[in-house]
Amino acid sequence: MAFPNLEYFKRDRTRQLFLIWFFLTPSLIIFTLYRIIPLFWNGILSVQFWSPFGESRFAGLYHYEEMFFFDEVFWKVLWNTILFMASAPIGIALALLVAILVNTQIRGRNVYRTIVFMSYPVMTVAVGIIWQWLYNEKVGLINYVLISLGILEKGVPFLGHFSLALPCVILASIWQVIGFYMIILLSGLQNIEPALYEVAAVDGANAWMRFWKITLPLLKPLLFLCFVIGIINSFTSFDLIFVMTQGGPAHATDLLITRIYTVAFKLSKFDYAAAMTVVNFLFFLGLTLLANKLSGGEAGAVETER
Amino acid sequence: MRQYPRWPIHLILLFVSSLMLIPFVWVLKTSLSGENIFSYPPALLPRDPHLFFYVDVWYTIPFFRYLVNSAVVSAIVVAANIVFNSMAGYALTRNFPGKRAMILLFLSCMMIPFQVTIIPAYLITKKMALLNSYLGMALPVCSTIICIFVFKASFEAIPKSLIDAARIDGLSEWRIVLRILLPLSKSAIATNVILAFIWSWNNFLWPLVIIRDQEMQTLPLGLSRFLTVVEDTTGALYAFCIMVLLPGLILFLLAQKEFIAGLTTGAAKG
Repeated sequence: MAFPNLEYFKRDRTRQLFLIWFFLTPSLIIFTLYRIIPLFWNGILSVQFWSPFGESRFAGLYHYEEMFFFDEVFWKVLWNTILFMASAPIGIALALLVAILVNTQIRGRNVYRTIVFMSYPVMTVAVGIIWQWLYNEKVGLINYVLISLGILEKGVPFLGHFSLALPCVILASIWQVIGFYMIILLSGLQNIEPALYEVAAVDGANAWMRFWKITLPLLKPLLFLCFVIGIINSFTSFDLIFVMTQGGPAHATDLLITRIYTVAFKLSKFDYAAAMTVVNFLFFLGLTLLANKLSGGEAGAVETER
Repeated sequence: MRQYPRWPIHLILLFVSSLMLIPFVWVLKTSLSGENIFSYPPALLPRDPHLFFYVDVWYTIPFFRYLVNSAVVSAIVVAANIVFNSMAGYALTRNFPGKRAMILLFLSCMMIPFQVTIIPAYLITKKMALLNSYLGMALPVCSTIICIFVFKASFEAIPKSLIDAARIDGLSEWRIVLRILLPLSKSAIATNVILAFIWSWNNFLWPLVIIRDQEMQTLPLGLSRFLTVVEDTTGALYAFCIMVLLPGLILFLLAQKEFIAGLTTGAAKG
């Protein structure tokens, strides 16, 4: 027996592997149960005639056909969702401005950071209620300010207005998420070597050029992360819309996610809602991959083994 | 670097800060006084503050019931998140066959927003007979991928020699995690606690889908129900708002330093 310890080490290794998988199990179960299975089940549901009581039958592309060719509401909410996603860069740009400003050596920068971030931990339902009231035609703050400044003559029912309602909801959602963007971008700014700026300044680059040539390229991965969060926000804003407008007036603020909820749990058409979910998910995935490509592709890269 | 004037920066930041703060101030004011914007002249501070609306909320709706439900669900979620995420985070710092596949799987799960799973998730929960239950509300958020990576990043920042030394001294894997890694990962734990708490405390869509029983409703559900009952000018609604958003805010303000530190290491890595 040249290596008397080998057997022991082997057993130890097996034991460790067992432990590693044991450690991974709870999370794996949860993700399988609530992410992976639902994803595939959605796909299956979408090609079935589903009923809570009887057998479900194969439906082929029936639901998709109905959705694309006969459901005007679907196109309306898809368009709203696109607008909602397209507004993400506005919030990110604002957050970038704030992040750059609170990254300077000014007094009270920590207070500013805290204040801007404070809207993020707040319950979205409460945010919806607060903003619904800010927009109120008779007692809302926004109408009051606009009337006092002489911009408006009388109150506007912002959330009851066909073309104003969606931008108003988007504004509220930007208000809530902007602090989160700011924190992410701030962490990126703090990782940039100050020497880079000094060298550039010596070489005669002005502040504007330094921003475009140093700050933006180095922030790309985090800007991408913010964009993904912004797109996901079009899902999480369900709470906001449910409280503020319920998707109205006449679907003006209905997003795919709110429509899916209504179709599934109010109209009990689980199969049709599942088909919409599939479209929504593919749309989200495509947009993310596109953004990843545009941002240089490094953000989605898996960490390599060390 | 060159000196630049400070006042424009302060001006912009003050403007942004006031935009962020005014809704809070106004809600607080209304909840204390019930006076709306048309009380003349408009004032920033409530003229005659009283706690009537808070008492009103406490007694007119089963606020305490909602509070208990929310607290129980949040407690389950926070505890489960710390245990499960630190376990998974630790496993991912070790080398084992299939590690790459695991990380890929986790990262792709991150790309499945919970909202797009609600229909099958509802059916699964129904099959497991967990509708209308605390566990049913908590289970989907009992482990979160971002937090797993926050733990992973934090564990990897701890010197390997320390862990090896412990191993040579004969500490078991369990003890290494409990006695060495976790005590050195305070900011990761703080991030986990805050995020898990905020997500479960504020969670609306999922309870809305699976809770039918009046007795099991959480605060967000109660709040949205209350909204449909009262006129939106009454102070009670805003008192309710303040009462539900206070816990999240306080927790965040208490631990914001650790929270931001933990979040940024996770974000920079993930």
